Parts: sequence; structure tokens; C-alpha cells
Amino acid sequence: MPEQAQRRAPVPQPVEKPETGDRAFEELRHIIVSPEQEQIVEIRSRLEDPGRRIEDVSSVVAEAIQMRRDQGDAAALSDALTPTIQETLRESVRKDPHVLADALFPVMGPAIRKSITETLRSMLESFNEALEHSISWRGIQWRIEAMRTGKPFAEIVLMHSLLFRAEQVFLIHRETGLALNHVTAAAVATQDPSMVAGMLSAIQQFVRDSFGSNREESLDSMAVGGLEVWIEEGPHAVLAAVIRGHAPAAYRVEMKEILESVEADFGAPLEKFAGDSGPFRAADARLQNLLVTHYRERPKSERKPRLAIAAGALLLAILVAWVSWVTYEAHRWSQFARSLAAHPGIVVTSYGKSGGRWHVRGFRDPLAGDPSDDLARLGLDANDASLDLAPFYSLDDAIVTRRATNLLAPPSGVMLAEHAGTLAASGAASAAWIEGLRQRAPLIPGVSSVDTTQLRAAEIVSLESAVLTFPVGRADLDPGQQAEIARVASDLRAIQQFASHTDQKAVASIVGHTDTTGIEGTNQVLSNQRAGTVAAILERDGIPEDALAPRGVGTTQPLRSEDNEENRHLNRSVTFHVNLFPASSAP
Amino acid sequence: MIQKKVCMLGSFSVGKTSLVRRFVESIFDEKYHTTIGVKVDKKVVKLGGEDITLVLWDIHGEDVFQKMRMTYLRGMSGYLLVVDPTRRQTLEDALSLQERVKEATPGIPCILVLNKHDLLKEWEIDLDRIAAIEQRGQPVIRTSAKTGQGVEDAFSRLAGAMLQSPS
Repeated sequence: MPEQAQRRAPVPQPVEKPETGDRAFEELRHIIVSPEQEQIVEIRSRLEDPGRRIEDVSSVVAEAIQMRRDQGDAAALSDALTPTIQETLRESVRKDPHVLADALFPVMGPAIRKSITETLRSMLESFNEALEHSISWRGIQWRIEAMRTGKPFAEIVLMHSLLFRAEQVFLIHRETGLALNHVTAAAVATQDPSMVAGMLSAIQQFVRDSFGSNREESLDSMAVGGLEVWIEEGPHAVLAAVIRGHAPAAYRVEMKEILESVEADFGAPLEKFAGDSGPFRAADARLQNLLVTHYRERPKSERKPRLAIAAGALLLAILVAWVSWVTYEAHRWSQFARSLAAHPGIVVTSYGKSGGRWHVRGFRDPLAGDPSDDLARLGLDANDASLDLAPFYSLDDAIVTRRATNLLAPPSGVMLAEHAGTLAASGAASAAWIEGLRQRAPLIPGVSSVDTTQLRAAEIVSLESAVLTFPVGRADLDPGQQAEIARVASDLRAIQQFASHTDQKAVASIVGHTDTTGIEGTNQVLSNQRAGTVAAILERDGIPEDALAPRGVGTTQPLRSEDNEENRHLNRSVTFHVNLFPASSAP
Repeated sequence: MIQKKVCMLGSFSVGKTSLVRRFVESIFDEKYHTTIGVKVDKKVVKLGGEDITLVLWDIHGEDVFQKMRMTYLRGMSGYLLVVDPTRRQTLEDALSLQERVKEATPGIPCILVLNKHDLLKEWEIDLDRIAAIEQRGQPVIRTSAKTGQGVEDAFSRLAGAMLQSPS
């Protein structure tokens, strides 16, 4: 034993040279002390030789550390070793980062994978939220807010719509499944936490066993109706949060952080846990931090977002302008359709917009007005519309009148007007044209009968304008009127013919006149004679006697006022007047 | 408050659930047995003036259809090994199960519970064998889930053993 050796070994003293008798004693002493002296030398050399000391310590250093830790003083040990280990790690990384990277690889790989998965899931959630809210009114408000603040829309959505409540949080000992701590939000009904924690652990193990995942992989969450249970596992503890609603992935990050802090701060009690949950009451505060109701609604007192209001107003103005333009355009096209429909000879059956173009469909008589005039008048572009107007015969009065006018070519002075199928002609036309009218008009589409009561034959007009003159006091005609007499006879014949074709009887009154000179009684006789003279001439020319009615009117119907000789001469004359009667009622 | 995880082990239909049903607090349906193979209940026992909460993992009995999941035993502090003495085989199964448990987690306190004491006349098991087991130091308690005999005692004895045990 070194201790004994130290006690028993005398410190070597300088001795006097021994006598011969003492040699034996010296030898004896050498025999007795020598082994211990050698041990002393050996021990001294061990103590003084750093190489040997290193060797000695190296053989027990691991056991010594183990013993110190077993004595429950791990903290002091950690304090002593931490700076050195930190420095060593730093130095190792500085020299060759690959060594540490290789060593950490098996740990970092899964950690990075998990982190990426969480991030992607979080992004997906944001995206889903964004989709959900992108078309609502609130979504539009949030979009404006995103533009105003320059934040991504998804972030704004998340900021406003985080609506969930973590109602209970369990801290569970991973190995035993016993509840270490349990906190609940106000007014939440709960079951016995120790049983719930146990069952959660059982389910965790069941899932892990049943679906063959390794120990590191575990059930992350369970969903029951509107409730979700999110589970986060650490090496010694499990954190389970019962969440109503839909928590964002960031909440899991919060759970991870709190679990990590629990693992770090309660390392020893967790490791040595033997059923006493007392030490874990200290974790209350941080578990309470997880009992959150995340719903951020913008406070009402917040400053009015002027830019947002301006942007909203602009948006509204654009919307109003657009709606107005669309309405105005629709109004103009409907005006066009109405204006077309007002045209005689055009029928609009439908109009509307499709494929960005306006369509007007219907029928148009070739004689109707031109639609392009209406387009131009309303300021519409013909290229914006397609007009599909099929040709047809319109029975519209104006169009039938136009059609009849085109076909019958009435002489000037004759007016045609169709109404309700009857084509009425007025004015004067030759008997031949009138005859043609009677025959052709009923063949015109839209005309079923002809009314000629307002139409006078041109020959009657001609006859009634004729004046045959006489010398003073005489009943024989002034000379040189043969041509006029021939025209009168010709007119009378044409009138007779026209009357017979129109089922009428024409009687021409031959009216004799005198000037005011002479005696009234004589003038009457003279006027009778003058009418008779003309009647006789006409009878001689073949005009039937019953078509002529000669009579004198004396001075009672002068043609002119007699203020000069010429007018007086015109009053010494014979004039004509034609009367037409229906053939059946003719006198 | 001290809590301990306790497992109820034993063959199918030896009366584990009956023991639990009448004497412990329960919130879960028994269908968990057939679905995930375990149902967790709670029993508070008083020991030396202190309340000890036993969190009972009532594990579905083994039968030809369902093997017991040994992972459910992780972290337990003790277990009741329940036998139906009217069926000899349940004792054999219990002892074989105990061997497996000892192998996986040695040194865990265990109480051998001979249930159905009310049907003593129908017992099939060899009582000498039981005496020998007791002599080896294995605590044995006779219970009846029907009359309640021995049930509290079984839980209290186990709690006591667990508190003395280092684990």
C-alpha cells in the first residue's frame, strides 16, 4: 500500500561509515529497508514524471467522471467541462468542418427533413386559406391591405383568420404515460388527466406498433370532429394539446419550443421520474402559454386606412364606370333595335350580345330604309354588330304605297296611298293610265282593292278647261276654233269610253254664256242657242245625244268680270262640265 | 401526488375487467380492449396516509386471436397477474406470461391474483402449487370481483410493494 509505505519508510539519513561489526547490521538493514526504498524511488519517479502521471490518470479518468455523476453532482461536472468542450468543438470545426458534419449527419438529416415538411405544410395551409378567402368581400379587403402594406396576401389572410383555441395541454412522461402536468382553458370540461394521458400514450404506442414505424416516428395529431389533438414527443416527455378549430403549423413550432425548454429545464426530474409529478408544477406557466385563442381581428380604434379607402373608391369608380359603359352600350344597341323596328318594312325578331358582338335578327323589305343610316345616326360602329335581316314583302302601308308607286309609275299630279289593302289614287290621270291602274294594282303584294274616287280623268280636266267663243249677239262660233272643237270631241269620246269601262255614265253639260250687253231676256235665249250650236256640232261628230246636256245661263255665270273687251269676249262663250253617275242610277 | 403505472395482466376472461369495473374510476368504453388492446383506468389507494394514484392499464387478455403488446408494459411500476382458478390453464398462462415480463423488465413488483374466490368449489388449480409459489416469495391474493373480497387489498399490496421497490 503506498500510504503504508509512506508511513513506514524512514527518510534516508546520512550515516557514519560503519564499523566492521556494523557491516552485518548494515546488510541486515539493507535487506529490510531496501524493498521499501525501491518503492519510494518508484513512487517518486511516478510523481515527478509527467508521462507516468498521465498514464495513471488516464486509467481512471472515465470511472472518476462516472462516479462524480453518480454522486449527483452532474451540474458541477457540466460546468467544468462545458468551456473545454465548446472550445474543442469550435477548434474541430475550424480545422475540419467535415468531421463534425459527418458525426451530426444522422441527427441533422431527420431534423432538417422534419423542418422542411413542417414548412411546406405551413405553406400549403396558407395557400388553402388564401384560396378560400380570395373571392369573398373580406378577401378583397385583405387583398387591398396586402397591396397597401406590401405583405404577401397569404400572410394577411393568416394574420386575420387564425381562429383556434387550444383548450387543454398535457405534459406526459414518455416512458410511463403518466401525466406530469395538465392545464386547461377557462370553462372547458375535462376528463381525468391521468387516464387521458395514459390512453393517449397507449394510442401512441398502438399506432407505432401497428404501423411499423420506428421509435422516433410517432402519431403527430388526431382529429375528432372539430377537435384536434396535436402531439409532440421529446426524449423524455410528450406534449399533447387539445385544439378546437384549426391551428396553423406555427403552433407546432411553439409546442416544440416549449417541449424543448421543458426537456432542458426538467432533465433530471424527467430522467428519474418515479411517479411524483410535484416538480413539474413549475412548468405550469409555460404550458399556460400554449393555451391560446389565436384570433386576431383588427381593432376598431385602428387608424382609418386612407390608402385602402382611396383604392377602394378607385376600384368602385372603375366598377361604376364599367357598369355604366356596359349599360350605355346596351342602351344604344337597344335604341338601334327599336329604331330599326320603327322603320316601315323592317321587323326585328331578336337582338343581344354574344361572343363580344351584338346581333340583330329579323326581316327587311327591299324597299325599307337602310339600317346603316340608323347606325351612323346613333354613332354605332357597324363592325361591332352583325345584322341578319332576311328579305320579305312587307304589308306595311308605307311600303305597299312605295311598291305601288314604283310599279305603276303614276303621272305627275297623281298621288297613291295604300291603307288596309286599298290603294287610293288621287289627282288627274289619263283615262288609259287609270284603266291600267285598275287592272294592275290588285296584282301588287299588299293591295287587294283600288279606290279611284279621288282620281279624275285628265280628259275631263281638259274638257272642263275648254272655252268656245262667239261674236257679239250671234250664236255661231267665232271662226278658227275647229281644232278646239276637235279636241273637245276627242275628250268627250275618251270620257265616254272611260265611263263605260268604269261602269259609269258620263253626261257633259254644255253651258252657254253671254256678256252683259243687251237685254237680259235676249241674252238667255242667245245663251241657249249658243249651247245648242255646240251640241249640234258635237252630235254631228258622233257624240251621242244623251251624253250631252246643252243649257244657257245668260249672264248669270260670267267667266270673267267685264272690265275690258277681252274679258267681255270670253263671257260670250260655251263651257263644259262633266257629271259621272253610276251606270245603274244614271238619268 | 404519487402516480404509478400498473398493468393488469392475465389470460382472456379471467376477470381483469370485472375487477376494474367495480373498484376503479373509469371513463373509457370497454371497446378499447378489442380495438387497441388496452383501456386505461385509475385507482386511488391510501397508503400510510398518502394517496397514491394507480393508473391502471387493463390490457386485453391474450387469446388465439390477439397477442398482448409488450410495448404497453413500458414504464410500469408493478402489475397484477390475474388468474381464473376455475380454469387451470389460466395459471399456466399467467406464469408463462410472468416469465416473459420478468425477462423484458426484471424486478417489477407483481401480485398474483386468484380471482373468482366466490366460486371456490369450482377451482381447478393445484393449491399446493400455489403454496409453493407463495413460498418462493410471490405474493398471492384471493379476490372476488363479485363480492369485492380482496380487491382493495390487492391494489394496496401492490402499491406498497411498488413504493418499496427502487424503480
